[in-house]
Amino acid sequence: MSVTQGRLKATVMDADQIRRSLSRIAHEIVERNRGTHDVVLVGIPAKGDHLAVRLAAKLMELEGAPVAVGSLDISQHRDDRHLREPAHRGTSQMPDVGGKVVVLVDDVIHHGRTARAAMDALMDFGRPQAIQLAVLIDRGHRELPIRPDYVGKNVPTSDAERIEVLVAEDDGIDQAVIVAG
Amino acid sequence: MAVGSRLRHVIESQQFSRSLLEDLFARSDEIKRDPHRFSGRLNGQVMAALFYEPSTRTRLSFEAAMMRLGGQTMGTDNAREFSSAAKGETLEDTIRIVSGYADVIVVRHNEEGAAKRAAAVSSVPIINAGDGPGQHPTQALLDLYTIKDELNRIDGIRVAMVGDLANGRTVRSLTYLLSKFKDIQLSFVAPPLVAMRDDLKAHLDEHHVPWVETEDLESVLPEVDVVYMTRIQKERFADPAAYEAVKGIYRIDKGSLELMRKYAIVMHPLPRVDEIAPEVDADARAAYFRQARNGLHVRMALLDRLLA
Repeated sequence: MSVTQGRLKATVMDADQIRRSLSRIAHEIVERNRGTHDVVLVGIPAKGDHLAVRLAAKLMELEGAPVAVGSLDISQHRDDRHLREPAHRGTSQMPDVGGKVVVLVDDVIHHGRTARAAMDALMDFGRPQAIQLAVLIDRGHRELPIRPDYVGKNVPTSDAERIEVLVAEDDGIDQAVIVAG
Repeated sequence: MAVGSRLRHVIESQQFSRSLLEDLFARSDEIKRDPHRFSGRLNGQVMAALFYEPSTRTRLSFEAAMMRLGGQTMGTDNAREFSSAAKGETLEDTIRIVSGYADVIVVRHNEEGAAKRAAAVSSVPIINAGDGPGQHPTQALLDLYTIKDELNRIDGIRVAMVGDLANGRTVRSLTYLLSKFKDIQLSFVAPPLVAMRDDLKAHLDEHHVPWVETEDLESVLPEVDVVYMTRIQKERFADPAAYEAVKGIYRIDKGSLELMRKYAIVMHPLPRVDEIAPEVDADARAAYFRQARNGLHVRMALLDRLLA
């Protein structure tokens, strides 16, 4: 998908804002968990895994200790897989999550169904001590009782709009935009 | 906008409930994202700006807000020297007359309490755009909105207020607003001569908002999410030597940015003199120009709430 497919309505975060939001989330993760000792970051492709790697670098900077990073394939756990092909299919790369505080990382939370699937998928790899959720953008319209622990920016949207997060690793630029659906 | 409490006049920060603030900020977000959607909201309505004390930026911000909503504006920048006031007309009489011409009146006055007096006799909404050393509630609204916009939350933030805290009405108004939120921590950084006044400290204690007082800015910088700088106002010092002793003691420069968190923001109600080095402007954490811009959207949301 690219921005050109829809009508660009507004930029909701630029590269600076994304960088600062990730810095803030890193601080919040440290404060909430009193350090990063038991923390593992697990990104949800295709954008969340890049954001998880960036968060890990920021945590390393803050705490001086490396934080394990994983990437989670959730395609087998989506509740809509009988309706459509999963957008991303891959293989999970998972460090040991047993007894750890796993921070799931994704770019956008909307209905909450991806986060639910991710929690389900994660359980195949062990029993974390706790699961937390970090997202760059919360656009509302939840259909499940799920609330992120760390939010870069709340962006109220209508269901007809789409939010697209571009990351430099894939898209050459860091930007979050709203496009007409 | 969600159904919230009624809003008639905008006089002081304390009057805003948390839910009303949240409504206003949600509307400000909408306006910021798509200002043109609101361009005809106040068609045919008229705003009068009565400025007994000059303030170019505040007045232009209000006028731009009204015009961008489709309304029209009229006003005077020197209401004190001008016409009726010079002839001895009271503020009350002027308001009675002007409220017959306009749908909303924005008042900036040199005396504390002027906005309240105006509201008491006005048949249309009064917006306080600063009353002497008293309050400047719309500045506080845009300050708070900026914090929310930049940090995505207000609950739990740590704010350092720096500079002239005794005379700065913006820090007073903002402090009142912050006290309505959860887990706020405040650091007041000021020379003793212009330290935060006791009435506001008592208000914070009453609302269980922890605060500390210090003269050491550097020790506070690594700890906070927001550094709110203010100008030490020369005109408030009777003794020039006292002013010379404290002027320029707090300055944010590249070295200060090194101490700050990477996401923390620097705010300033502007105009700045030398409290913030120009080299800071290029840093993404310099939020003061975005703060000024937010003023337009927040004032649009406020006018919309009062008049639409």
